[in-house]
Amino acid sequence: MGLWNRERTEDLGGSGSGERKWKPDGRPESGDKGQEESGVGTDWAERLQALWKMGLSRSRKLPEYITENVSEELIQLEDLVKVYDTGALKVLGLKRINLTIHRGEFVAIMGQSGSGKSTLMNILGCLDRPSMGHYYLDGVDVAAMNPDELSLIRNRKIGFVFQSFNLISRTSALKNVELPMTYARKGKRFREQRARTLLERVGLGKRAEHMPNELSGGQRQRVAIARALANDPPLLLADEPTGNLDTAASVEIMELFSQLHKEGTTVVVVTHEEEIAAFTERIIRFRDGEIVSDKPNVPREPEQKEAGPNEKGH
Amino acid sequence: MLIENMKMAFSAIRANKMRSFLTMLGIIIGIGSVISIVSIGDTMRSMFEGLYREIGVTQAYLFIGYWVDDVRQSDYFTLDEMERVKEVFGDQIAYIDSNSHASADAISGRTTVKFAFNGVDYNYQEVQPVNIVYGRYLNEGDVLGRRKNVVMDTTSAMNLFGVENAVGKTFRTTIYGTTEEYTVVGIYRKKLSPFQAMMMGANTEGGEAFLPYTILTWPNDYFYALRIFARDEATMDVFYNNVKAYVAKSKGRQPEDFRLNSAKDEMGQMDSIMGGLAAAVGGIAAISLLVGGIGIMNIMLVSVTERTREIGIRKSLGARTRDIMIQFLTESAILSACGGVVGILLGGGLVMIGGALLGVQAIVKPGVVLLAVGFSAMVGIFFGIYPASKAAKKDPIEALRYE
Repeated sequence: MGLWNRERTEDLGGSGSGERKWKPDGRPESGDKGQEESGVGTDWAERLQALWKMGLSRSRKLPEYITENVSEELIQLEDLVKVYDTGALKVLGLKRINLTIHRGEFVAIMGQSGSGKSTLMNILGCLDRPSMGHYYLDGVDVAAMNPDELSLIRNRKIGFVFQSFNLISRTSALKNVELPMTYARKGKRFREQRARTLLERVGLGKRAEHMPNELSGGQRQRVAIARALANDPPLLLADEPTGNLDTAASVEIMELFSQLHKEGTTVVVVTHEEEIAAFTERIIRFRDGEIVSDKPNVPREPEQKEAGPNEKGH
Repeated sequence: MLIENMKMAFSAIRANKMRSFLTMLGIIIGIGSVISIVSIGDTMRSMFEGLYREIGVTQAYLFIGYWVDDVRQSDYFTLDEMERVKEVFGDQIAYIDSNSHASADAISGRTTVKFAFNGVDYNYQEVQPVNIVYGRYLNEGDVLGRRKNVVMDTTSAMNLFGVENAVGKTFRTTIYGTTEEYTVVGIYRKKLSPFQAMMMGANTEGGEAFLPYTILTWPNDYFYALRIFARDEATMDVFYNNVKAYVAKSKGRQPEDFRLNSAKDEMGQMDSIMGGLAAAVGGIAAISLLVGGIGIMNIMLVSVTERTREIGIRKSLGARTRDIMIQFLTESAILSACGGVVGILLGGGLVMIGGALLGVQAIVKPGVVLLAVGFSAMVGIFFGIYPASKAAKKDPIEALRYE
C-alpha cells in the first residue's frame, strides 16, 4: 500500500523523542519502547532518514481510509481528555468528552472563552492530539497518528475556516484556494480550474486575481471557505468564522454555510454568539471542559435575517 | 511542486527587495571576487604563455652552474665546441648560437642612439620569425664573411635615421674597442601587444639590431652560454638532458654542474606562481562567501519567525514537514544563487572591461562560472538547512496563534 501503510509509518514516525508518549495507557505499543529511551540525540538522523525514505517512495497511492468516506459517524469522540502541562501544574482542558457527529450535520459548538471549545476545535481539526481517549475521524483513530499523517488527514478530510481568515498574504485569492490542492499534489490545470469553480461558487469569480488585502473581510472569509472546500473534504471546521465581520457579512457567511450543509457537507462551527449558532441544526454547549447541553435546533430562516439588532445574548 | 516552490520563493524575495538585496550582497561580493580573481589569474597565465610562445618555448641556455666553485676556462664554450654539438645532435637542433650580445652607441650624422646588438646566425628567423618590411634578413654570406650588416626594427630606424626605410644607410659604432661602419640591410616591424610591451619594455628611445654572431664571437673566444632551440617541443626535455650530458662529459664534468635555463621551465614556474597566487587570493575571497552564507542564514531565520503564521496556515492546509522544509530551502538556495549570478556578471564583467581597457583578451572560463553558481546555491542550501528545519518543526497551533 506504499508509504501510508501502517507498518511503514510506524517506522517513519517512531523517532526516539518520545513521539508516542501521548499515547493513552493500555493501548498496545508496537514494540518501539526501546526507541523511546534513545532520547533526542537520534532524532535528527532518524528524521533525515524518514525524509529520505519519503522522497524515495513516490507512491501517490493513498490508503482507503483517506480517499474514501468510510463511516456514517464522521466524528466520534470516546472519553477524550486533554491535559495541558504548564510545568508547575496540569490543567484539564477537556474532561472525558463523548460525542458523535454524523455525516451531513450542521453543528454549533458554543461556550465562553476557557470553556474548552477551542481545545476541542484544535483536536477535531487534527492540529492537536488528545492526551487520552480516542478520536475517530471517518472511522479512523487519528489520535495515534504522527504529524505527517495528520497533515495528510487535514489536507483531505478537513476544511478550515478561521476567525482571522488566515489567507496567505501577497498571494492571489486563486493561489490561496489552490494551496490545499498543491499539497495534495494535484496537477496545475486541475488546480486552477477547480479553484475558479470554487471562487465562482462563493460569489468571487471576478476577484480571483485579487490579493487578500484588496478584499473586504466578508470576501476574504469567502475565499477562505472556497479554500476549505478545495479538496472536497467531508468536514468543514469553522472557528468563530464571523468574529471579525459585521452583521451583514456574518449573515452572508452563515447562509453560505447553510447552503453547503444542504449540499451535504458536514459543518461544525465554533462560536460564542447565539445568533450565529441559531443558523445550525444542533447546538452543543461547553463549560469548564465539559459538555453541558447538546440539543437539536431549528435553524433560523433566511428571511428573518433583517430582524433585530446585533444583540449578543447570554 | 518545485515550480510552485520557486514561484513562492521569488515572490518572497520580491516582497522584501531591499532586505533580499542586502543579503545577496555578501554572496555577490564573494562570488564576484572569486570569479574576477580566478579569471585574472587565467588571463595572466594565458598572456605569459603567449609571451613565452613569442620568445620560443623550445629555447634554452646552457651554461656552467653558478654553484660550481672551481670554474675553469674550459667550462666556457668555443665556436669549435659549438660546431661539435651541432654535428652530434644534428637534426634535433633547430638553431644554435653563441648567445652573444653587445651594447653600444650607434652614431649616424649628429644622432647618437644606444643600441642593443644581438649576434645571431642567418637562420635565426626560422625560430624567431620577424616581419621584414624593407630589404632582407641576414644571410649565410653575412655570417660566414663576417660582414658588418645589420637588421633592425622600424622604431630603431626612426630613432637613428628619422625614417623607417633605412635600408642601405650606415652608422658607426664601437664594439669591443673597434669602431667600424655598419650597413642596414633589412628593416622589420614588431607587433607587440600592450602587455608584451609592458613586460618586455617598450623600446621607444634606444635601438636594437641583429648582426652576424661571427662579429661578436671570434674563433678563439670563450663564451659563457650556448643558446639552443630544440626542433621538437615534445621531446625537448630528453634532448636537453642529452645535450647537457654530452657537454659535461666533453668538459670532464658532471651533468649536474651545468645549468639549463629553458623557456618552458620558466613558463612552468610562472604558471605555478600565478596559479598559487590565484588560489590564495581566491581562498580569501571564498571566506567572504562564507560570511555571505551566514548572512543568508540570518535573514532566513528572521523570515521564518516573521512568517510563523504563514507556516501555521500551510500546515493546517495539509503541508507536511517536508513541504515546509523544501519551501524554505528553495528560498534560501534561490536567494543565494541569484546573488551568485549577479556576482558572476559583476566579476566577469569587470574582468572583461579591464581586459578591453588593457587590450588583452580576458578569459572567463565557463567551468568556473558553473562552479560558482553551483557553489553559491550549495551555500544557500547549507545555510538554509537550519532555518528551514526550524520552520518545518513549528507546531501548527502555536504557529497559527502567532501574531
